[in-house]
Amino acid sequence: MTGGAWLCLLAPLGGTILITLCGTRIPRVVAAWISTVSCFVAFGGAVWAFLGVQARHAVGPVNPVTFLPAVPGRGEITTAWTWLQSGNFHVGLQLLVDPLSTVMMLIVSGVGALIVLYSIGYMDGDEEERRYFAYMSFFVFSMLLLVEGGNLLLLLVGWGLVGLSSYLLIGFWHKRPSAVQAAKKAFVMNAFGDATMALAFFVLIAHTHSLSFAPNFDVHLSSTAINLVALGLLGGAVAKSAQIPLQTWLPDAMEGPTPVSALIHAATMVTAGVYLIARTHPIFEQAPTIELIAAGTGALTLLVAGLIALVQTDIKRVIAYSTMSQIGYMFLGAGVGAYANGMFHLLTHAFFKALLFMAAGLAIHALAGEQDIRRMRGLGQLMPFTKWCFLAGALALVGIPPFSGFFSKDSIVAATAALGTWYGWIFWVCGVAGAFLTGLYTFRLWFLVFPGEPSPFVREHHHRHGRLEGALTMLVPVGVLAVLATVGGWLQWSPRWTPFTDWLAPAARTLPVAIPTNTQEYYTSAATVLAGLAGIAVAWAIYSERRIAIPAAPFWRRALEEKFYFDLLYDRIFYAPAAAVANVLRREFEEPVVLQTGSDLGEAALETGGLVRRIQTGFLRTYVLFLAAGAAGVVLAFLIAK
Amino acid sequence: MLGPDVAWYVAVAAVLFGIGALGVLIRRNTIVVLLSLELMLNAGNLALIALSRHWHNGAGQIFALAVMAVAASEVCVGLGLVVALNRRNLSLDVDSLSELRG
Amino acid sequence: MSASSLTSILIWLPIAGALLIWLLPLSRYATGSLALLFSLAEVGFWIEQAARFDFSRSGLQMAQRANWFGDLGVSYHVGVYGFSLWLVGLTVVAMAACTGYGFWVGRDRSRAYFGLMLLLTGAIVGVFVAQDLLVFYAFFEAMLIPLYILIGVWGGARRMEATIKFVLYTMTGSLLMLAAIVVYGLKAGTFDLVDGPVSASRWLFLGFMLAFVIKAPLFPFHGWLPDAYREAPPEVSAVLSGVIAKAGLYGMLRIAIAKFPEPTSFYRTTVLALAAAALVYGSLLAFRSADFRGVVAYSSLAQSGLIAFGLFAGTDLGFDGAVLQMVAHGLISTSLFLIAGVVERRTTTGEFRLLGGMARGRPALATLLMTVGIISLAVPGSASFAGEFLILAGVFQRAWWWSAIGAGAIVLAAMYMLRLISGVLHEARGSTVVDEALDVRTGELALIVPLVGVLLALSAWPAGISHHSFFGQSPTATVKSQFR
Repeated sequence: MTGGAWLCLLAPLGGTILITLCGTRIPRVVAAWISTVSCFVAFGGAVWAFLGVQARHAVGPVNPVTFLPAVPGRGEITTAWTWLQSGNFHVGLQLLVDPLSTVMMLIVSGVGALIVLYSIGYMDGDEEERRYFAYMSFFVFSMLLLVEGGNLLLLLVGWGLVGLSSYLLIGFWHKRPSAVQAAKKAFVMNAFGDATMALAFFVLIAHTHSLSFAPNFDVHLSSTAINLVALGLLGGAVAKSAQIPLQTWLPDAMEGPTPVSALIHAATMVTAGVYLIARTHPIFEQAPTIELIAAGTGALTLLVAGLIALVQTDIKRVIAYSTMSQIGYMFLGAGVGAYANGMFHLLTHAFFKALLFMAAGLAIHALAGEQDIRRMRGLGQLMPFTKWCFLAGALALVGIPPFSGFFSKDSIVAATAALGTWYGWIFWVCGVAGAFLTGLYTFRLWFLVFPGEPSPFVREHHHRHGRLEGALTMLVPVGVLAVLATVGGWLQWSPRWTPFTDWLAPAARTLPVAIPTNTQEYYTSAATVLAGLAGIAVAWAIYSERRIAIPAAPFWRRALEEKFYFDLLYDRIFYAPAAAVANVLRREFEEPVVLQTGSDLGEAALETGGLVRRIQTGFLRTYVLFLAAGAAGVVLAFLIAK
Repeated sequence: MLGPDVAWYVAVAAVLFGIGALGVLIRRNTIVVLLSLELMLNAGNLALIALSRHWHNGAGQIFALAVMAVAASEVCVGLGLVVALNRRNLSLDVDSLSELRG
Repeated sequence: MSASSLTSILIWLPIAGALLIWLLPLSRYATGSLALLFSLAEVGFWIEQAARFDFSRSGLQMAQRANWFGDLGVSYHVGVYGFSLWLVGLTVVAMAACTGYGFWVGRDRSRAYFGLMLLLTGAIVGVFVAQDLLVFYAFFEAMLIPLYILIGVWGGARRMEATIKFVLYTMTGSLLMLAAIVVYGLKAGTFDLVDGPVSASRWLFLGFMLAFVIKAPLFPFHGWLPDAYREAPPEVSAVLSGVIAKAGLYGMLRIAIAKFPEPTSFYRTTVLALAAAALVYGSLLAFRSADFRGVVAYSSLAQSGLIAFGLFAGTDLGFDGAVLQMVAHGLISTSLFLIAGVVERRTTTGEFRLLGGMARGRPALATLLMTVGIISLAVPGSASFAGEFLILAGVFQRAWWWSAIGAGAIVLAAMYMLRLISGVLHEARGSTVVDEALDVRTGELALIVPLVGVLLALSAWPAGISHHSFFGQSPTATVKSQFR
């Protein structure tokens, strides 16, 4: 099983290296297939590791339907070599293969392979396709390192490398200044998260001299220390998962190619924060305040992002805000202790959100790059396959049974009800309100883009690539994901049927407080589904039938369109002051003081020299005279001293 | 073992040194300046050897040998310079060679 | 050949090469080839030395000692420790790349140029292996002579100003160091670094430290740095920031910290504050610099601050991280300056407002600059990340706020490095970038790719340096025992 983990990790890295070294010596399509095959090999490795974990830890009766053992054991750590060592502190290059990491490996490599396959069609004809595929493979490698890393430092390494590949891919079209800006913004905000995580690790090192998972989780630090550690980890998670207040980079990240948005900014990387909380849950459990902050952040983000999504006009940005909102749900689940529920939503979300992005990508591709939904009406008539796939994704997103989102989202909201405290109920209300918003913005998108007669713009710009709605490499992954988005949720229907939670139990046990009763499950399900349907109905009334006018609230509308002014705020309080301080330092200190000191010293030396040069006449005899006078002086001095 | 008192040797050396020094100070011709320098060095040698004999200490004689070696190399360099100057048709007047003035 | 003579060979081989080049009336091509041959032989000898070095043994290794001024206790004493071995390795590798670069661009007055480069190599190696204070001082000053001429003759338009400033600054520092050396040596009765006793004199400590903080440099003693790095030929800037600056930091470790434990702890907060200032100030100014070399110059200031952080943290992680970071940053800034040279040769400028869009059609240049750039901003998993992580974790154990400052500066590092990368490679094509400007040529690749390769290898196994720099279990204890 460790062999599978290594294969899974190294195959995409091999793909990257191969494409980079071959450079322009191979045709574009070969680079694309190298990348795709490497990702599928990684998926094979993940399956191998998954089966290994299952076989090795077969304890207790095997479930008759899933063939999974009821109680999988703990994971296994495999070390390649000691990566970093100093004194008695050492960190190995090690992988952890356990239920949690194998689930993530399957998601990352599986969805990743499908999206890379999709890219072959999507990126066809781009100038620098080879670079694109090298980056994609590198991203898959980094993400796998993140989820497989067997200690906190390697987790941070993967964490940083996914940030790097995200930077590279957002800025892939580097001729566009907006893409370069967005890439830099994403990297710097993630670097901030990396920094807070590193600080958390410093606290751990100072107390335990170790960064491996096991000892840190057993050791009991002082409550200040553990709170700081949890806060630092949360900072990293919030930055990576684009939660408030570090969310502003994600919408801008849509400057990247659409498959990138599907893979990195929907299915995998942005959900890493949830994985981090699940992975380090023993730390968070010792710091309940911070855990509550995580849940609160999630609840706030899911509402705010849902509201902003209502006014966006760029198809990818709507889905991006929806991603933020859904990750808010996952944070909420992980924050209240329902780690498995959060992870389950991560899984289904990976299916339906990748599907939505890729279906949107088909539309964008067919319209030669147009992303404005106001010009897209009636696309469904020309692209029926895209339409139905998108609908499957949309229903899954809203959480309408039997689509996958229903099973995962409801269980998170039910877990908040199980808390039974006042804030538990606030979370519950947020979750249900979020479901309404989800229905509203998702179907606003749907009604604006797909049904009805094609608009003149669509008629004019729509062009087919061949006989189908897109290249076959694009349609196949979309179809596969549409099926997964539909049935993927059947893996679990709490409380009746919980193989997913059981599988994760040894790695991320659900806290007892977050296990809802059957009643709570049922009324929560009813409430969220009704809220979702209500959202759909309102969207239908406003955007399809135009029976209700959009309420006029210019202040709120403007606030939403400005994304609640976060960008402006950060510019004012971080970027502008830093730039101003740097400028002032350069103008007022560096140039007049530091750089001038040397010149001043030099000039003083020159002036002194100018005074002394008079006695340098250039006549030999003058010098000899000085010499003689000097010698005479010395002799005289001796004589007098005597 | 008899001979003039050591003071005479030193006196001769002092006179020689004085002549040499005056030559360096007054004469302008590079070659003569070099000659005068040699004179000063040899004055020093004379004093060294005389005093070495007087104090029955060999170090002075060894030192005189070292001075001779230095003098020889100095003449090499000095005459080399004179030849180089002559080749470039430059004046041998030391006063006109004042390029290195600060 | 015995193992201990390897140390002397590493010093004197390039100096002999320099003499040979000055004496033989060879053509430019032959001179360059000969110099490159010598610097490659130097790399070979270093590999031999590293292979023979016994990392499990304590104390000085491959030492040679010969009496020089016996009465004063001065001797020609050279030898290596783990950390000096790595720094010598950095020197020979970086110098080989820089000599090769000089050859590639065809510097005029080639005999003088290559002789000086080789002389510089010998002097720097001498600094890192000298175990006698006067020998150390001699090599420390000997570095200055070739640098003075190399900047002053082959530099840019304002080269004389830069040269004079550089010499004035460093001479000031080293004269005070000379005074400190004389006082220390006469008091102790020996100038030997291995045998010499510890001293509690704060004045002597300050005398040494001034020389080192100017050489490193730390804020606010960096007045010479921006001009020198901008005006020197790119390969000399590469040596300056990649290797020479490390001599100052090495001096802090080998002399100031090891020989003056009491003053070190007395001035610890002061030095840490200077280092923090260098880190933040350098990062901020790098962020606002308008040209390629300006960014790298100020980022070198920041990196010196970071390394001084690690050294003066006085913890195991700090020491190991500092040595690792010295080597990593040496390789990074050498590569960056060489790439700056590559860019300047194609566009005649390093100013961002005239550059941009170079990635299009130049995949090799883009890949190289991107790789070095992201290693330089310490992306997790890179050698510099490992170094910075250890340093900051080490200084955290001293006090948490130092690490917080350091972590903030690393975010700034991301900002200025990305600005550099985008400024050169991305967005609209700059006015000086013409279509005919070639991608990185094979000759240039052959110089820069090995440096990047070493960096990547170090990224795969940073413990290779971090755990093989100090003998014994704990670097702190080793330093406390004065490396005996």
